[in-house]
Amino acid sequence: MRVYFRYAFRETISNLWRNRMMTLAAVLTVAVSLSLVGSALLLKQSAAQASVAWQTGTRVTVWMSPTASQGELDAIRTQLADSPLVHRCVFFDQARDYKEFLASLPPSETNVLTAADMPTSFRCEPTIPADAFIVESTFKNQPGVYDVTAPEQQIRQMNHAIRILQIVFLALAGVLLLSATVLILNTIRMAIFARRREVSVMKLVGATNWFIRIPFITEGFIQGLLGSLVAALAVTALHTWYPLHNEFALNNVALLGTNAVVIGVGVLIGSVGSAIAIRRFLDV
Amino acid sequence: MIRFENVGKTYPNGTPALKDINLDIEKGEFVFLVGASGSGKTTFLRLLLREELPDSGRILEAGRDIGELPKWRVPYLRRNIGCVFQDFRLLPNKTVYENVAFALEVIGRPRSTVESQVPQILELVGLADKSNNLPSELSGGEQQRVAVARAFVNRPLILLADEPTGNLDPANSETIMSLLERINRTGTTVVMATHDKALVDRMRRRVIVLDKGEMVRDQVRGVYGVDEGAHR
Repeated sequence: MRVYFRYAFRETISNLWRNRMMTLAAVLTVAVSLSLVGSALLLKQSAAQASVAWQTGTRVTVWMSPTASQGELDAIRTQLADSPLVHRCVFFDQARDYKEFLASLPPSETNVLTAADMPTSFRCEPTIPADAFIVESTFKNQPGVYDVTAPEQQIRQMNHAIRILQIVFLALAGVLLLSATVLILNTIRMAIFARRREVSVMKLVGATNWFIRIPFITEGFIQGLLGSLVAALAVTALHTWYPLHNEFALNNVALLGTNAVVIGVGVLIGSVGSAIAIRRFLDV
Repeated sequence: MIRFENVGKTYPNGTPALKDINLDIEKGEFVFLVGASGSGKTTFLRLLLREELPDSGRILEAGRDIGELPKWRVPYLRRNIGCVFQDFRLLPNKTVYENVAFALEVIGRPRSTVESQVPQILELVGLADKSNNLPSELSGGEQQRVAVARAFVNRPLILLADEPTGNLDPANSETIMSLLERINRTGTTVVMATHDKALVDRMRRRVIVLDKGEMVRDQVRGVYGVDEGAHR
């Protein structure tokens, strides 16, 4: 058995080296396609998480201008309390807004601001969620109001954009995965052709079919694995160095899961590609 | 060791390659298989290797019907059969030693076996001093001796040789023949297909003559024969 592993390992490495240009092409195609798959998966999970976070939170926020006077503030407070569109409101002072701000962004982006720079705001829940827009337009141009935001609406639009992006990513990834499989199939086919003398001698002296096949299968497997490892690195780098807004941020479990899928798919297409090549071109 | 029972083989284009062959080859026999090109010699050898199956009849090797062997057992059958060809079939990018060692490695023999068997067999064929040469650096006769070493290193029960002297001059043919004889004396059954009339006549071994797929003569201590020789 040990002899066999040594043999298979040596054969696989020399095959990979002999066809290194084709191998590189196959590995890169796998890497690019799986990076797309990984990003699409991360995006999907982020979007789902953000939706949950925002749906449980405030629906409409009335941001007061930093220059607003106490009179303007009181006027808005009264109007909000009297409006039949608004169910209830909570006032966030500067300290509370600052706390939330600190929690929602990475430290590198928060240290330039202090609590004194923060605006105050009213976090309101509309009586009917769909009325968020009317609340928004009613209070937008009131004196002392800086802006009114209705995140649910933004979320909906963002979710839509993310879904389209995801479909595009997955479609591209599908095409690339297919071409990666074909590329792997082709490198294995070339390897089989390059080793046809060895294969015929092996058959002659009684090497078993799997003994002959396995180095070619490992070759495809390794190409898929290498490609998917590159893709996993790319996905991890994306996650680490370009974190999305904190509400989109995913924990490491989600990242690990995504990378597991990426590597699994890579190994699968490598094995499938070489299995097809062996069935079609290796006559044992 | 080898038994053919009413063996027939017809190729898809309708040409009969072998017709109703019946014969027995005992363990340790040395048999010449002679006949013109297209007489069925190669088919005969291919059937023995189970590269093909007969259309009718059955072939027994060591008492077992090789037609009933499941596909995955075929490699194990071939481990008991050594093969030598007219065109040597050595691996050009491996040295003499590696070519012979390869035959043991790919059937999973441990390294210690390889390291003890290969030098021994190279000694036997008289190429111990050429272990590290590539086949391209050897003469035809030497290359064929490497091929014989590779075929015999696993100590098969049967050695098949398809025109092993076909590409060699008389002196080298002689060397190969005496090598095959020595191998035969160890108890290995040798079946050799050949065109070499002088060689067959001198050896006085069993001769099986095939003509257009039929066995026309089976003679102990036989000769090539005038008729068959004229065909080619």
